[in-house]
Amino acid sequence: MLESKIADSVVDHALSLGADFAELFVDRNQVNNIATLSNEVQSVQSGIDFGVGIRLVYGYKVLYGYTNKMDLDELRRIVSELSAKDLRDPINQMLAFDYRKPEEYHPASDILSLDACIDGKVAYLLAADKTARAASNMISQTRGSCMQREQSIEIFNSEGLHTDDKRNYIRTSLTAYASDGGEQATGSWNDGGLRGWEIRSDISAAETGSEAARQALVNLSAKACPSGRMPVVLGNGFGGVIFHEACGHLLETTSVAKKASVFHDQMGEMIANPVVSAVDDGTIANEWGSINIDDEGLETQNTQLIKDGKLTNFLSDRLGAQQTGYERTGSGRRQSYHFAPASRMRNTFIEPGEDELDDMIASIDKGIYASHLGGGSVQPGTGEFNFAVQEGYYVENGKIQYPVKAATLISTGPAVLKEISMIGKDFSLACGMCGSVSGAVPTTVGQASLKVDDILVGGNA
Amino acid sequence: MNVESNAAAILDRVKEKGAEGDLIVDEGQALSLKARDGELEEHKVSSSQIYGLRVIKDAHVGTAYSEAADEQALNSMVDQALINATFAKVEADEKILTTTGSLVTDDALLCPSDEVSIENKIQFVLDMEGNLAAKDKVQNVPHNSISDSIVQRRVFTSSGLDARLKQRMCVAGAYALMVDGDKNVMDGSGRAARQFDQLNYTDIVDEAYERCVGLLHGEPVPTKHYDLIFDKEFQVEVFSTFASMFSGKTAKDGVNPMRDKLGDIISDPCLSISDQPLLTDGFGYALFDSEGTATRATPLITGGRLETLIHNSATAAHFGVSTTGHAIRGPKSTLGVSLHQMHIDKGSDSPATLFSGEYLLITDLSGLHSGANPISGQFSFGAAGYLCRDGERIQPVRNITVAGNFYDMLKKVSAIGDELFWNLERSAYMPHIRFSDVAVSG
Repeated sequence: MLESKIADSVVDHALSLGADFAELFVDRNQVNNIATLSNEVQSVQSGIDFGVGIRLVYGYKVLYGYTNKMDLDELRRIVSELSAKDLRDPINQMLAFDYRKPEEYHPASDILSLDACIDGKVAYLLAADKTARAASNMISQTRGSCMQREQSIEIFNSEGLHTDDKRNYIRTSLTAYASDGGEQATGSWNDGGLRGWEIRSDISAAETGSEAARQALVNLSAKACPSGRMPVVLGNGFGGVIFHEACGHLLETTSVAKKASVFHDQMGEMIANPVVSAVDDGTIANEWGSINIDDEGLETQNTQLIKDGKLTNFLSDRLGAQQTGYERTGSGRRQSYHFAPASRMRNTFIEPGEDELDDMIASIDKGIYASHLGGGSVQPGTGEFNFAVQEGYYVENGKIQYPVKAATLISTGPAVLKEISMIGKDFSLACGMCGSVSGAVPTTVGQASLKVDDILVGGNA
Repeated sequence: MNVESNAAAILDRVKEKGAEGDLIVDEGQALSLKARDGELEEHKVSSSQIYGLRVIKDAHVGTAYSEAADEQALNSMVDQALINATFAKVEADEKILTTTGSLVTDDALLCPSDEVSIENKIQFVLDMEGNLAAKDKVQNVPHNSISDSIVQRRVFTSSGLDARLKQRMCVAGAYALMVDGDKNVMDGSGRAARQFDQLNYTDIVDEAYERCVGLLHGEPVPTKHYDLIFDKEFQVEVFSTFASMFSGKTAKDGVNPMRDKLGDIISDPCLSISDQPLLTDGFGYALFDSEGTATRATPLITGGRLETLIHNSATAAHFGVSTTGHAIRGPKSTLGVSLHQMHIDKGSDSPATLFSGEYLLITDLSGLHSGANPISGQFSFGAAGYLCRDGERIQPVRNITVAGNFYDMLKKVSAIGDELFWNLERSAYMPHIRFSDVAVSG
């Protein structure tokens, strides 16, 4: 996308002004979004994002700028402006670019630049709507969406790196609204992957529609949720958001390097119950949070974060590695050229165990079975996190009693990791978006069903 | 080619294709700085431009955008928007406004020139971080930054309207991690202004420190129902989370629980809420909306009664009313509605009445994006603050949740303060409100 001789001149200019390291991140995103409301197409949108991010590093200091213009003068102007307060004699010599094509681990066929496949996507969403509304006359409305994106990146740096990659993202979702004339409730389902519209052969409009409708109807009949500390069984798939929030963010060197993570000095220590082993794996074929290379050009990896309760790795980008001494893990990610890269999660999950879901529920005197979780957030410095129950049930004497309305679960990462006492076999993954210092990036969460012995449930009963 | 000539070429092409359209062009320049351990950690500069086009042809609406501004990219954007329109349903109510002429905001008022050098801005962020880090028990200041940004929005229509809004916003903020034995807390403060020299880091440092010290030894309170008063930041956050209750768009889509309640009493009669887009002290100031409609003050709830929903021209036409000037559209989005600056009338309750007896003052909420359902009104948030009695803080409180139904909570207002406050981002202007009988888990 960017001529090598222009990149060469810009990077050389940066080093001549005394930068330790210089990098160009060229980013082109082609996007197509389809939205349906009930059984009609509400909108079709498309567009192209295109720009260059320039990162200069002086010691631990990062200078970052970006522009939509690709000409040499503009790029050199940004370098000069950024480094104006840090000018010094050259420290490093630029290495000649050595182009390397990354291995393609995530093949895609029905990609956006070939065909947006709008007719097929619309048919899928309308079929999901039809199924949802057929489930009950209390399903009053649905909203569907299909997002497809083709991201092309090209990276040059002063250490001679020149590489590029393409990422194809697809995500479909349906939200169903249930109403009994007074109360309203929602349910939703989504699928996604690092692939093209060929995902169509692996997803089902009927299952999407019926699952969204089922959740909405359950929530419509839900009672107020009990409050207080109690055991909670978290469902599989998106239930893994608990590990993402409670622990994953705290293992990013973005927080570790600043000692703004409660785990920054606990490498090698037992930070979780011994039943817990956890992984952040960027290599899973066609998974939503996967990549071939990270946004610093390094081939991504499968990183064991916790093994049998012991902390074994942090997630490290280039600067994080420089600051902490822990090796890079191919985790330098960013939303777009608007952001400098930072250590971020990819596909993060707790590995499956040997327990049965029925046994977990049977072990509870009074508690909650949270079969579907919503999003959450964390304060890495203190480990305090929260996440929302999207579909939950009150459990008493080992049996599910009735559905409960939305509740938030709160705790701290160090506390909850030690409260996980049972992990099931029903492992699955689910896709989401994670927001942090380098923007919103696709991430996958996952787990088998698991039991937390003690956590605060914020109900309103 | 400049923005005006590009806009003219784009809209000419739209008309040549037998369509009408409007074009949004957003431009921005920004500087941001972060410090760490007494050194500058990040220095970021940016300039951006994006064109977002909406076309309407034979009552079908299509949109497309481009960050590239060359002729080929912009022509492609027009063609793609027209193709997208062919897939969309008939939207008989959505039309390009016939308004002509120009609307221009006052640069001297909203975008004053910057007299502060980059050296002084760097020194500001270093001093802010350094002074807060030097405070007792502060381990570090992991989140701190200053930013100075100018954003300009242009709206051009095929009918001949040219509207321009340009604003400057300077923001500084710092969050400290405080540690005392096995207790820790992270909290902070910030300020915003239209000119950098109106910012003062000592206010931020002192407030951030006081917030950390105050909550460091916080403990949960017993699970029961309490009266709640949110601080000025989080009261705005809560109201904003449920602001879609006023949306004519969600009403048109059949998912607004207030859609059939116009004229009904939906809150305590002492509550009056309006939208005030022309208050120039606010950063939500808007002379015109995203369709180019001139804005005006709009009463939303008066004396507890729902007066109106907010509309763009399409939702207004659907309900047979006039637009309220609340169209919202970004270059990458379709036409919706949004409040500009929410305003709640001050009440008559003195501090002695407002802060009487026992109540919880909530100074932090978490999970606002995930713990609320604007369709049902249900919410459950993580929270922190203080258990208070007669205006005195008697216990710092952490690790609790507050939960309930926002639409029910509006009917349980027991007092409204007699003073108005802007929040940090100056997006809303409200008095303190005391809500009674809210479920708290500890």
